[in-house]
Amino acid sequence: MDKKTVTTISYLSRLKIDDEKEEKIINDLGNIIEFVDQLNDVDTSEIAPLANPLEKTAKTRKDIVTAKNLKKELLDVAPSANEDYFLVPRVVE
Amino acid sequence: MSWETVIGLEIHVQLSTKSKLFSGGSTEFGAESNTHVDLIDMGLPGVLPVANKEAFYKAIRFGLATGANINQTSSFDRKNYFYPDLPKGYQITQMAQPIVEKGSIKIAVDDYEKEINITRAHLEEDAGKSIHDMFEGETGVDLNRAGTPLLEIVSEPEISSAKEAVAYFKAIRQLVTFLDICDGNMAQGSMRCDVNVSIKKSGDKELGTRAELKNINSFKFIEKAINFEIDRQIRLIENGECVVQETRLYDSEKNETRSMRSKEEANDYRYFPCPDLLPVIISDKELKEIKENLPELPEEKEMRYIQEIGLEESEAKIISSSKAMANMFEEASSKTNDAKLIAKWLVGDVSALLNKDNIEIDESNLSAENFGILIERISDNTISGKIAKSVLEEIWENGSNVDEIIKTKGLIQIQDESLLEEIASKVIDANPDQVATYKSGKDKLFGFFVGQVMKETQGKANPKSVNLILKELLDNLN
Repeated sequence: MDKKTVTTISYLSRLKIDDEKEEKIINDLGNIIEFVDQLNDVDTSEIAPLANPLEKTAKTRKDIVTAKNLKKELLDVAPSANEDYFLVPRVVE
Repeated sequence: MSWETVIGLEIHVQLSTKSKLFSGGSTEFGAESNTHVDLIDMGLPGVLPVANKEAFYKAIRFGLATGANINQTSSFDRKNYFYPDLPKGYQITQMAQPIVEKGSIKIAVDDYEKEINITRAHLEEDAGKSIHDMFEGETGVDLNRAGTPLLEIVSEPEISSAKEAVAYFKAIRQLVTFLDICDGNMAQGSMRCDVNVSIKKSGDKELGTRAELKNINSFKFIEKAINFEIDRQIRLIENGECVVQETRLYDSEKNETRSMRSKEEANDYRYFPCPDLLPVIISDKELKEIKENLPELPEEKEMRYIQEIGLEESEAKIISSSKAMANMFEEASSKTNDAKLIAKWLVGDVSALLNKDNIEIDESNLSAENFGILIERISDNTISGKIAKSVLEEIWENGSNVDEIIKTKGLIQIQDESLLEEIASKVIDANPDQVATYKSGKDKLFGFFVGQVMKETQGKANPKSVNLILKELLDNLN
């Protein structure tokens, strides 16, 4: 784990890391990775990847519309909205 | 230096389910903003997505129709990125175990056919819509579309020109509409396409660096965007520069592609299995049922039209080229005994009108019922083919009823032979010079007399009767 990786991950996850905590975080993350890396010692070449630890399969829905119109309620609890849209700081393509 | 183009397409097909992929929200197009948003689509804490089985069934239909493998166990993964119209901060998609793998589809370009392999087709949810230009300094978000099921169809990089890319897109569109899994409406964004383009020296094994062109939604723009991009890449390399791997946006107004810097940094999606969703199993019984109920496909229709109805191959091809056209043919045929005449008119006059207005047949004023009756009125000699043409044009303009037009305009064909004979005699008497020339051996002049009789009757005379009567009258003249 190095400074560059941590900077990239913090950008991708939109988490700001304070400068004074940076070294400790690099160190902690390195330890965590090292610990989890023990799993690499196990030979899994013959084992299919596990999509879910529950070992069950999904219940599914029929194709029926059940949702109500919650426009007003949803826009009311948004941090910023007008009467029709959620509003966010401008994103330009 | 000669260059080869290598193209791969990712087509997003919006599946025509009533509800969303993981919620009971409606997928209706054009609804008032944010009225079809379920708590699951919002990604609120504590909600649990549940997969819509119908989306799987529709995806499987596509897989079966392209001879693909159907993964009876398929699972969902999260693709992580931040964008305001993606409320959860990740898109649920199928990375590791897609529902459909390894199919193929035949495309036709000018004078050759080619098989394009399909790497995979997987289910995923659509994002909402960002509205950038309506609010000062802010972006509006409409989440109606969030969670709508998409089938992303990924081709192998086996497409070698812009023309082939268009033919491939058209073939996919034809197939998904015949399968009734997508409405194929490009203007409403029901089919969108990302194009990967690279070039390499002729004969080179290794692929060049590719650029990805995003979100192109018309046949015309696919061709233009690819051709622009090919030229751009050739120019770069011939000037000693390099093609950069990046996402580029096609600007249809300027006919150019340009770099989308905003997407460049976010190219690490950190896929992982979605812990909210268990693998979905499709039973043998379900698979068998879908197989048995697969609708008739374009190629099968074409064969049936030729073998059972006796259409010409060229007619059968045109009629089976789109679902709307095939529907029109089959429904109209049920109104008359003369399916061949229906075909002749569809391929001839109706297609000409469609081309002129640049529309699809289901966008026209012509209903299958009205069209069937129109052809029936030709078959039963109520009106002549020529009159039928003008009736068709009138229906085309305002959709009015065939029998009504015939009645109010007095277009019924003149069958009365004595009346026709009278008119024919008049025409002969009025044109002694033409009669003399005709009698001297200029057989071609016969058409002139037919034309005159038609003119006298405003086109309402039965042409067969006119021919017979004129022939007899002229032959008996001394």
